Amino acid sequence: MNSGGVVQLQLWQFSLIYLLLIIVIAIMKKSGVEKTRLLVVASVKMTVQLVIAGLVLSYIFQNPNPVFVVVYLAVMIGFAVHRVLSGNPGLNRRFQAIIAASIALSGVFVLAYFVCAVVGENIFNPQYTIPLAGMLIGNTMTGISLGIKTFRESLQGQKARVEALLGFGASPKAILQPLAKQALETALLPTLNSMVGMGIVSLPGMMTGQILSGTMPTTAILYQIAVIIAICTVVTAASFGSLFLGLRTLYDPKNQIL
Amino acid sequence: MCLLHVSAGTEFRDLVRYPEIRIRENSMTFITGPSGCGKSTLLRLLNATVLPTAGRIEYKGSPLGGLPVLDYRKEVLLAPQQVYLCEGNVADQFAFFYGARGEACVSRAEMVNALEICRMPLSPEDSCANLSGGERQRVFLSIYLSARPKVLLLDEPTAALDEVTAREFLGNLKAACRQRGTTVVCVCHSRSLVDEFADEEIRLEARA
Repeated sequence: MNSGGVVQLQLWQFSLIYLLLIIVIAIMKKSGVEKTRLLVVASVKMTVQLVIAGLVLSYIFQNPNPVFVVVYLAVMIGFAVHRVLSGNPGLNRRFQAIIAASIALSGVFVLAYFVCAVVGENIFNPQYTIPLAGMLIGNTMTGISLGIKTFRESLQGQKARVEALLGFGASPKAILQPLAKQALETALLPTLNSMVGMGIVSLPGMMTGQILSGTMPTTAILYQIAVIIAICTVVTAASFGSLFLGLRTLYDPKNQIL
Repeated sequence: MCLLHVSAGTEFRDLVRYPEIRIRENSMTFITGPSGCGKSTLLRLLNATVLPTAGRIEYKGSPLGGLPVLDYRKEVLLAPQQVYLCEGNVADQFAFFYGARGEACVSRAEMVNALEICRMPLSPEDSCANLSGGERQRVFLSIYLSARPKVLLLDEPTAALDEVTAREFLGNLKAACRQRGTTVVCVCHSRSLVDEFADEEIRLEARA
């Protein structure tokens, strides 16, 4: 089937793509952006991680087993949670637990709905569950990171506002919720903006991949639309859970802001 | 009558330790002392924004820890040192603060009255965008005053005011609060203002 669809990349052909990085390095040098090291590290990490993912996925596809799917999902979610938390140091334990639970619960719920109800496949079918989970969890990670970062920054930057309202007798919940609302908006904007430009400015990665590998564009867009709506839902639900439940960990029953 | 009572040895974390402090009802009490001696922390303790880690504070004879804290804070307001105003005109500031408390905003007449007491002759429709530091401080304080609290805790309310305005402001404030039966506790660094306006002075010592 592949013979009619996609050109099988030969290794030597494939390696030509790395030459483009020379352009990136040249521009970095020229403009004094000292991120060459990061670029090299990132490129190597990406290559190694994807090669491993490719090998692992091939193995899982040939030997489908629910245990593999569950473990793969757990690793993905664990990594996403770790990335969000390491990018936002200093959150209290309960806040961290709420973020982890928000990512895991909303991710698994939307994933199950997508695979079982929309596609009509078994949730343990790795061919559907794993790539979809990757797209959902990856975008959620970016959204929540942005939301929590915005929330912490506004909490820091608006100390005077918090103190003034607290002294006036406003409840910590009433003081913190507008900040969480703002952060939620920030978390959602990239997803919403990408929806606006989709199909005109950009052909999204998943759709491109499917078309390259021989899927009809009309089928590819259906999957793409479904995925984007699913991403939008997970990002919204997980960010909402993280922020609005998380802010409750910032004050105690005596209404002292911690 | 003693309205607020801080028992001797009341502490907040390892930061400060207070002597016995009594604040009389319907008086204007000034808190003085060197920087870092715990004046602002004392106001936060009195407003129950923070709780003492040792000792106890009583309001009308009951310990603070036992009172519903949000109702208490609305009765014993604290206007912190750092001024905060949102965007918009003067009336928007009042609406913002009362909105955060989940309450209807005070009437226009009450705003004008509070602004006048604070020597800030603005109308509620005036913009806050071009106010000076001292003007912003007086708008800020007039919001707290408009709530007609039982106790008003003020952290350096005259910090951004010149001597003349500060004197007019404190004179007006003292007269209005006496008439309303509001107890005022005020942190202030100006010796002459304290001498002129204090019914009582509580001098805190530098930390050991």
